[in-house]
Amino acid sequence: MDSIDLSPIERRARRSYELSRARRALLGVVPLIFVVLVAALVGHRPGSTLLIGSVAVVWGALLLWYGRDVRRAVLPGVAAGLIPLTFALCARLVGHGCTGDQCVALCVPACVVGGLAAGIAVAAVGHRDRHGVAFWLSTSGLAVLTGAMGCACVGYSGVFGLVLGYGAGLLPSALRALYSRSKP
Amino acid sequence: MSEQVELDQLVQRLAEGDRSAFTAAFRLLWPPVLRLCRGMLRNDVDAEDAAQQAMEKILTRSSDYDPARAALPWALAIASWECRTIRRKHARRREQPEPIREGTSETDQEELHIQRELVDAAVNAMGTLSETDRETLVATFWEEAASVQGPTLRKRRERAVTRLRAAFRRLYGLD
Repeated sequence: MDSIDLSPIERRARRSYELSRARRALLGVVPLIFVVLVAALVGHRPGSTLLIGSVAVVWGALLLWYGRDVRRAVLPGVAAGLIPLTFALCARLVGHGCTGDQCVALCVPACVVGGLAAGIAVAAVGHRDRHGVAFWLSTSGLAVLTGAMGCACVGYSGVFGLVLGYGAGLLPSALRALYSRSKP
Repeated sequence: MSEQVELDQLVQRLAEGDRSAFTAAFRLLWPPVLRLCRGMLRNDVDAEDAAQQAMEKILTRSSDYDPARAALPWALAIASWECRTIRRKHARRREQPEPIREGTSETDQEELHIQRELVDAAVNAMGTLSETDRETLVATFWEEAASVQGPTLRKRRERAVTRLRAAFRRLYGLD
């Protein structure tokens, strides 16, 4: 048994391990790919939706492949991001709200409110499970990217509104959770 | 910490994606896997090939590892399956009878052939059982710690043996 050189066997086994993780990660993001396609079909700007969606899919796959704490960020991230995405797509279908002479596009307010709800949802999960900084950052990235697929309906202002709302919903809880973790 | 517990923890860490556990898990798994393959295949070259392939399969499937179960029987069950596949491949290829080696009598050759056939039959019958049954039988045979202990293990073993007997009877018409 001692005469066998284990290094090449270990190298091959490691490659198989990484490949299987990559395969599982790709399978794991299939639902997100479906979401991207639906958003591109329903949305106003399929080009930017597909671009942002591709980044979200790659980000999600990387998190799943890497594993550990950040692997658990994918589901809450996508689920939270679906809130502003749905709001934005619904707002796009409704179009705009008119009061007297003035008409306002509903996309930006929908993104702000959706972002706020997503931020609160992510904060609740992060606070409940006492996750670390990596989780907060990974979930936030994925939530914002998923939401941005719909909020790009009115260009950067929609995405900005989403980030603003998300930050408002998330920051207080995130800071409190991270502060309580750092205390001895 | 016992080696079994350490291995359980290492495989669980691998399942979570902790790459730093890889080398330690590999070094702990390799000796029992190779021992099992040598025991089942009775040929060093085939055993080493089977062990290598088994290690790749075990580590590929480590993301599916259930932490509630003991890692070693789980890994050995995968390795025994790999040995079974190799034996089947060899059996398919064996169209011509093997040449009689010098220095061995005809009776020894016959004995060896019968033993090989019996092991093949047992491995085939085991292949029809569930993963839990296979794991229990492998753990019992190699005296490794199973994922359960005491009366639960005894009951599980009893049931696995009964099912193995039934499979043997169904496949070959004898106990």
